[in-house]
Amino acid sequence: MILSKFNRLRALVSCMVLLGGGLAQAQNEALHVKRPAELREAPGENSRSLAPLAARTPVTRSGARQGAWIQVRTAEGASGWVHMFDVGAAGTAAPAGAGTNALRGLTSFFNKGSAQGGTITATSTVGIRGLGAEDLARAQPNPAAVTQAEGLRQDADQARQFAAAAALSSRSVEPLPAPAPVQAAPAGGFINNNN
Amino acid sequence: MTPQSPGIHTRRLTWLALAALAAGLAWAPAHGQDGAKALNLLGSFLRQAAPAEAPAQPQQPAAPGGMLGNLLGAGLAPSGGNRAASAGNLIGLLSQSLEQIDEPKEIEIGRQLAAVLLGSKPLHPDMALQRYVNQLGRWISLQSARPQLPWTFAVLDDPGFNAFAAPGGYVFVTKGLVDQVAGEAELAGILAHEINHVTGKHHLQAMAKSARAGLLTQVIGSQVRGELAGAVSAQFLSLGRDLYSRGLDQSDEFEADRNGVALAARAGFDPYGLVAVLQQLRTAAPDNPLFALSLSTHPPAQQRLDLLEQAMGNRMDNLAGQPAVTVTQRMEGLEAARTASRADAPAASVPAGRRVPVKK
Repeated sequence: MILSKFNRLRALVSCMVLLGGGLAQAQNEALHVKRPAELREAPGENSRSLAPLAARTPVTRSGARQGAWIQVRTAEGASGWVHMFDVGAAGTAAPAGAGTNALRGLTSFFNKGSAQGGTITATSTVGIRGLGAEDLARAQPNPAAVTQAEGLRQDADQARQFAAAAALSSRSVEPLPAPAPVQAAPAGGFINNNN
Repeated sequence: MTPQSPGIHTRRLTWLALAALAAGLAWAPAHGQDGAKALNLLGSFLRQAAPAEAPAQPQQPAAPGGMLGNLLGAGLAPSGGNRAASAGNLIGLLSQSLEQIDEPKEIEIGRQLAAVLLGSKPLHPDMALQRYVNQLGRWISLQSARPQLPWTFAVLDDPGFNAFAAPGGYVFVTKGLVDQVAGEAELAGILAHEINHVTGKHHLQAMAKSARAGLLTQVIGSQVRGELAGAVSAQFLSLGRDLYSRGLDQSDEFEADRNGVALAARAGFDPYGLVAVLQQLRTAAPDNPLFALSLSTHPPAQQRLDLLEQAMGNRMDNLAGQPAVTVTQRMEGLEAARTASRADAPAASVPAGRRVPVKK
């Protein structure tokens, strides 16, 4: 049984590899334009505009991402680039009202709670799933594996060598400001992180 | 990327249920949960809570103050002895102040939580991948607020899409995640998010929160003392399981997103890597079993994206635009560089070979 489960797992993994993994999921995603924007010829605010995109225009993710910009296709067949933050998942509420949007997301998330348990039972017959609460509930501590993982550590010099080989260099970046807590965390404490 | 919790009321109920378990079940929860097929851990705790209360009385080892005392808040003012005096009592310390947990203790707590995670899924056997993730993670952690921690990164052999961190610098990603991210910038964004859970001590805070609530304090505290010696106690095991099944405070997730974006950018990566991952999570069906735990333990991806948009605006756009590199491309590049340096090695080793007779 374990073996067959394993085989099915392998089958799924190779399926995902064939589909191009996560990209396959991100691509063809139905999106809508959140605010008036431009369909651009290339990534970047300074690139030529191919067409204006009104708020709520449906678009489809069609390809790669470059920095903040993703490739999309309009219903009319025009293809170009938009800023990731100018589009949202289709069907998730109105533009602008981020607060409402988020709250709605939260509600639907909770509503799915009970359905989720049922779905897990159903999909477990397929035998493929990721690490879940069941695995954690059964977990017996494995300190030997921790020791093994610690043996694979890289030190600061090795990390710098990697960065040099990968042409990565560090740069000074200011911390991002915390947004005003409009709809953020449901009160639970720890708003002061230095307590 | 770690967890979230449903809300104050349900969270409190969970802890009540846990407390009942802690007091009475003598660490049967592992067996009890085997029967619970659903991922709805809260449900299973609540179901078990009722029967647990009955045996609680006889089995409760006369702890000063008792569980009832804890529930009433007496746990913060222990009736017997000075809690701070028992240095090994980590959970006791947690209930007072995180500052009293020094770095060695923090790392020890992290080791034990890491042992729980590695008890649920083994290390992936691909050592080249393990080395790469360690190089990548260590480089990012060097730009963090705690560059000197003994950072340990590991890939879990699991097809799901998830990442975990533990105090003291332990960061885990699943093989499924590595396979499904579009590129190195995305993986860097995830590692940066996890690194910020460590530097922000979010797991310690989650544990402290339950300790401050007066729940589990004495039961666990009495056990953790012997734990620095090595073995993970049943209580700690239960705490670890619960921590990773339920997740962290939502505000800690948002903070780790925000700081993760800045940290990845500081390490030279495209700051939009994490944003792209969240878009990917948004498209994952909530009932996709490969995403189930990461979705159930985190705030909704759309909400995280909205908050990141508010924080980032366009201020990170000029730090983006690096050419995209996939994990496979990077690993092949590193391997090619290694092979090239090995090809140089024979020439260099000739003099070394000559030295052998000289030595004689």
